[in-house]
Amino acid sequence: MVYWRGAPMADDIRRLSEELARDPASPAYLQLGEALRRGGQLDLALRVALRGLERHPHDADAHDLLARISVDRGELERAFDEWDMVRRIAPAHLGARKGMGYVLFKQARYAEAQTYLAEAAELDGEDETVATALAMVRVKLRGGQRDQRDRGDPWAEMGLSAPVAPVDPVDPVDPHDPLGLFSDLTAEGEQTALLLDATGLVMAGTYLTQDGRDVAQEVGAELSGVSDEARRAMRHLALGDWSSLTVETDAAVVAMAPMRDDALLLVAASKAMPLGLVHRVLDRCVARATSWLAKGGA
Amino acid sequence: MKTNLTPIIASLTRQRGVRGSLLVDETDGVIIDATLHVGMKGPAFAALAASLYRKARLSAEAAGLGGVTFLRLRATEGHVCAAGKHEMVLVIVADARANIGLIRMEMLKALERLVI
Repeated sequence: MVYWRGAPMADDIRRLSEELARDPASPAYLQLGEALRRGGQLDLALRVALRGLERHPHDADAHDLLARISVDRGELERAFDEWDMVRRIAPAHLGARKGMGYVLFKQARYAEAQTYLAEAAELDGEDETVATALAMVRVKLRGGQRDQRDRGDPWAEMGLSAPVAPVDPVDPVDPHDPLGLFSDLTAEGEQTALLLDATGLVMAGTYLTQDGRDVAQEVGAELSGVSDEARRAMRHLALGDWSSLTVETDAAVVAMAPMRDDALLLVAASKAMPLGLVHRVLDRCVARATSWLAKGGA
Repeated sequence: MKTNLTPIIASLTRQRGVRGSLLVDETDGVIIDATLHVGMKGPAFAALAASLYRKARLSAEAAGLGGVTFLRLRATEGHVCAAGKHEMVLVIVADARANIGLIRMEMLKALERLVI
């Protein structure tokens, strides 16, 4: 796909829109969709891509565009499916391998990510973004942390990083201390907070019981998929996007909120704590987690 | 079909903003009784609500927090509330203007009256 830089984006969008209006079969929809995506107009970009796909259902670049838009919309499964389609249509498509590797990396499925990125490296052994991404995945597979000082963000260089909230420069987030990420927000143990990925794996925080045991993994495993179920339930009822899930138990109140990429943030507090206050703590932890993820904490 | 549970379920649906109330088997997500507004997809929603409640209960158990007494899922345009007893889950669907505090009290009272 051809990307263009330098010209004012609004002018490009206008020019491409006019071109597409003159000739609806024009491949200009690819550039237009990409320009809209880069400009953050995701709904419009999606509409352009889908309309293009109606006319060009076997165009690998159109599916690639749809996959990129899906990533920006946080729809990783859909992005993966679209790149899988690209791979079927164009078996030597490098971007599809990179994209699939990216999705699997974001889902912490590092071994599978490695497979696709290794295929990408075979297709183009000189692509530095692939080499760097592959190195990152291998570090994750060994359970370590990458050194960010001399490596860029390969995903960003591939144009794949999803939009994130702005980082607060005074936010005291230490990206290398995931366990203590929420400790100052949770009154040093009065409440407990946990960030889980879409598969229920712990990304940050701890969950200590009264006797001091960390049961974060157990809680995460049981809550795996709760985001997806909440979303499906809301879709069935046409109640919009879910914003919080509060569970009162015999001993505590647990409040949860959705994060990007189907991650889940959870705060547990004593039952004596007013519900409104629990939600305030939840909101602060969501802001902290968003900032941490933006700093590459995941 | 009306059961002896119907009056209890129906009384909840009369609360302001409530679109429907269901009594669901937590294990298999099947509706035991329900009073729903026209257009609500009862069976599919019942299964999802039961599954969500079960997940919450199991995670609370894993964390040593005891049984789940009440669950509230908040969305931009409404709420889903659930309360369980003896592997049954009482579920309410309400729109954004509903008084959740009042509904919560009524649900907990209704649950005490449920006998199967």
